[in-house]
Amino acid sequence: MSEILTVTDLCKSFSDQPVVNSVSFGVRESTTLGIVGESGSGKTTLVRSILRAIDPDSGTVRYNSRKGWQDLHSLSPKELLPLRREIQMIFQDPFASLNPRMTVQAILEEPLIIHGIGDKESRKQRVAAMLEKVQLEPSSASRFPHAFSGGQRQRIGIARALILEPRLVICDESVSALDVSVQAQILDLLASLQSELGLTYLFVAHDLRVVREFCDEVLVMYAGNVVEQGPVEEVFNNPQHDYTRLLLSAIPSPDPDEKLEPLARDGLQLEKV
Amino acid sequence: MSESLLSIKNLSVEFKTELGKVNALNEVSFDVPRNSITAVVGESGSGKSVTSNAILRLLPDTAQISGEIILNPQGEDPLNITSLDERDPRMQNLRGGLVSMVFQEPMTALSPVHRIGDQVAEAVLCHRDVSPEVAMAEAATMLEQVGLTEVDKKIRMYPFEFSGGMRQRVVIAMALICHPQLLICDEPTTALDVTIQAEILVLIKSLQRKLNNSVLFITHDLGVVAQIADRVVVMYDGQVMESGSVRQVLKNPQHPYTRHLLASIPGAVTDSGSQLHAANWSDGAPIGAGTFLADAEEGRQVREFSQ
Repeated sequence: MSEILTVTDLCKSFSDQPVVNSVSFGVRESTTLGIVGESGSGKTTLVRSILRAIDPDSGTVRYNSRKGWQDLHSLSPKELLPLRREIQMIFQDPFASLNPRMTVQAILEEPLIIHGIGDKESRKQRVAAMLEKVQLEPSSASRFPHAFSGGQRQRIGIARALILEPRLVICDESVSALDVSVQAQILDLLASLQSELGLTYLFVAHDLRVVREFCDEVLVMYAGNVVEQGPVEEVFNNPQHDYTRLLLSAIPSPDPDEKLEPLARDGLQLEKV
Repeated sequence: MSESLLSIKNLSVEFKTELGKVNALNEVSFDVPRNSITAVVGESGSGKSVTSNAILRLLPDTAQISGEIILNPQGEDPLNITSLDERDPRMQNLRGGLVSMVFQEPMTALSPVHRIGDQVAEAVLCHRDVSPEVAMAEAATMLEQVGLTEVDKKIRMYPFEFSGGMRQRVVIAMALICHPQLLICDEPTTALDVTIQAEILVLIKSLQRKLNNSVLFITHDLGVVAQIADRVVVMYDGQVMESGSVRQVLKNPQHPYTRHLLASIPGAVTDSGSQLHAANWSDGAPIGAGTFLADAEEGRQVREFSQ
């Protein structure tokens, strides 16, 4: 399978503090790349600079669009607009990421209006079809976000990201705010949408259990550096870096016989594997 | 001394709303034994937090409470919390003295405009007749116990200078400083990274062993339950589905909902590669299927709508 995104030597500092330090990786089409690490490890800064929500200091991000390879950072905002249709984001907080004063219809219609897609009637149909895809009632369209539970709101966020028929979807801690049982339902939904629509996911998370279940490849970040990357099973079954081992040791097992003994953080080395 | 520290009997809580009465808790009964950690597990809307808030009488006026919550503090008379008058002097002793609480959000549980030391010492000054200097010294000792270093410097700092994990340690110190017999932890690690969560879980457990108090630990994650608790109460839709020792409930869940919760845990694994095949237990309750779960989703929606 061909690559859809190639990131090379991406760097970003905030007030001389390197937050993303020379990160390189590639994502193959229709697969899921997990990005794990603790708060402050640079996961969000990394995905935001891929999207050009913030401009990185150096490095290249090349994206294989429907019209061929493009260097995202050399494009003007105007040239970037059609690509924004192809790259969408699902946010972490299902409460903060939906405008409380807009109906679901208006929330889902807005991206279509921005990109000048369809007329009023056809947009309405698209919204209805999208709601069905994310398993929400058609009557949801006329309601406001406060009428929905956290899991349902996250479905609205997914619908908003997918209504433009993107190819690459960035999920920034999209299930972290949800209960485990609701989380499982949302992961199921994301997986079935991926196989139906051939989506590629960049999946940012700090829960390794979720990454293990949901992702094909994983990138482990620590203090702005990628300390380990590879296929999920390989990295998790045979972690090479101390930090990956520390992350794995912190997972609370549902088996009371497997005692939680998180490894010490002292003496963690930063060299790349 | 054989009786449990806390005994909840047939506790029901109803909220009066514009759309009629909403039943948040329905005949909930369970005990919190002494010197142990009891976990209450369930998803949002299951009534976990309503239960813990009822113990501290933190529910709003719209709540109608029936049933009994009996606290049997060591060396003091038993206390029926549900029948206490709001202005009863024992209420002050109950809140923060006998029972205290660690909240979910360490960012919002601390005041942004007061120094760490003052916030921890405030609890001492509220409950005991001591000088501010003594209170501050006790605060420093407590902060050391929860694992902060360079405490002399830290007590003069503000919450924004602390990371999430450090803030949660401060909140735990605030809750423990008056030596409560019952510590309620309401999802204390949900907002934290997995590595910090592990540190906080280990801390809560070791402090419980050291201080010989009881902990009521509220969570939605059975992985956390397995690691921290001695006993577990599984709640769903305001009712207790199942309760017992952690080993008994997690190794041999009797209720389909418990199996469903176990199946929801994303594939957990350890270094040894021994995977807990939680999914095999899910036969009774497939995710999102069954009238049982579909109803709850609707119920929750109505409840949120009416708030």
